[in-house]
Amino acid sequence: MANPLKLYLTCVRNTLEAALCLQNFPCQEVERHNKPEVELKTSPELLLNPVLICRNEAEKCLIETSINSLRISLKVKQADELENILAKKFLRFLSMRAEAFQVLRRKPVQGYDISFLITNYHCEEMQKQKLIDFIVQFMEDIDKEISELKMSVSTRGRLVASEFLKQFL
Amino acid sequence: MSSFERASPALKEILLRIYNAEKAIEVDHHLYEFGSVEYYIKSSASEPFTYLSISTPLLSQGVFLSYGLSPYTLQMIRDISIDALDIVEPPTDGYQLTLRLDFSKLPHNKESLKVITEVSSVQAVILSSQLKEMLQNVNSWDISQGMYKPIKLIYHPREPFYVIRQPEKIVAVFPMRFKDHSDVIIATSFFQELMDVGSSGKWAKVPPCNWSPIPPPELRGEPFEDLSTNGGFVSFDISSHHVEGKRLDKTVWSLLNFYAYVKHHVKCTRGFIQRRMRSRMDSLVQVLEKSMIQENGEIKKIKGNAGWKKMKKWMKLTSKSKMIKRRCHDFTKKIKRIRFRIKILGFGRLRRRWLTMPNLSSSMGYTKLKNTTSN
Repeated sequence: MANPLKLYLTCVRNTLEAALCLQNFPCQEVERHNKPEVELKTSPELLLNPVLICRNEAEKCLIETSINSLRISLKVKQADELENILAKKFLRFLSMRAEAFQVLRRKPVQGYDISFLITNYHCEEMQKQKLIDFIVQFMEDIDKEISELKMSVSTRGRLVASEFLKQFL
Repeated sequence: MSSFERASPALKEILLRIYNAEKAIEVDHHLYEFGSVEYYIKSSASEPFTYLSISTPLLSQGVFLSYGLSPYTLQMIRDISIDALDIVEPPTDGYQLTLRLDFSKLPHNKESLKVITEVSSVQAVILSSQLKEMLQNVNSWDISQGMYKPIKLIYHPREPFYVIRQPEKIVAVFPMRFKDHSDVIIATSFFQELMDVGSSGKWAKVPPCNWSPIPPPELRGEPFEDLSTNGGFVSFDISSHHVEGKRLDKTVWSLLNFYAYVKHHVKCTRGFIQRRMRSRMDSLVQVLEKSMIQENGEIKKIKGNAGWKKMKKWMKLTSKSKMIKRRCHDFTKKIKRIRFRIKILGFGRLRRRWLTMPNLSSSMGYTKLKNTTSN
């Protein structure tokens, strides 16, 4: 892993370890309801300060915490138009299948490419350390996948161009 | 529009069936293919000939083709098989060309298959001969103010391309248009690869290719709607070397199919991206599954949203009981209808009076007491 990326991911990991201390907290406004407070933001005393970790201008991670839930929003690097559409397609593909991931949000937070919502129930069902490992691994894999996709598309284009030009020989 | 194969598969199959039949068969088929191409095949048992009529949109309605097919095109078609093929004048109503085929004059070897394949690709022969003629014989009257006027060729209604004759070369310019923005990006990446590959030393003999987002200077003066694109302009410089001998046919066919080639590549790339995303998603989900808390040494599988599934199950159960009730009701109704299919006049009144079961008790009702006291 390159050094800047490693530092970035380490920072995100440490922040998540500190932030993922969630407990069950019923809704203060509606009886017998239990809602993720980070989404509603109705009670400021239940919210912690959001943390924004920026690798550079294009890549950043926003971690918003509350007493019973945590929201992580990621902005992925997009160097050119091709990476832009590949990232958009891939992340939209994942978001549409959010039920397979459980912790993934169907719609990303505005200004970001993808968002996760982790509640206290997820922390009860899943191991905290492995959940953090998943998030960090996801961030790494997304970058890698988009780069590989871009390279594959270029390679395919090159092969197809060669096949087309062969017809003139 | 033609596919990458010149021969029409459906037409070839029908012609082979007629050729291989032991005795003459009755055939009367209309075939419709992509790009408004229509074939009409007629064969009868009483006649030894098979008639094939073709209707295809012509490449250009410009100076060269005033009406019908040019003698050059007709000669190209006759050259397919001088013995077995003959052009019928005038053609069948609604068609541009009618051929009379005599399968008995075809040799009984592999040569016959070759001839039938060439007959099946007559539409490709018509279109490519028109472009060949244009590439070879450009009317010098089209030179205006020292510049050669671009010739607009319409192979597909929404995809015209231009051929411009210049000293020592012919330039073919393709304005590229796509419906989706992501298609534009994928195609642009392909055009850049095409330029890179074409400019390398290994491919020195192929026509140089250029891509630009703005119309080339040769197209100045053309209508605005033809020059407004989102995919830029691809141009090929065809020199005399590329149209010599057998290369002319290959060059013409490649130019005619350039749009189809690009669209096919874009479509396949999208499919590839989709497959890749799907497999990546599976691997990511597996990573998350490992984070589930183990019970009795087994990892619990992620079942999606379990709460929602329970709700769905409960809804299914309630709707099932309702369905059963409805079915019972329909069944008893059917039985009643069958039993009372025979209508007897006055029986209904009799049934209502004497054959109905009395209501013995009612939770809501009451029994009216007789008035014992008298006023």
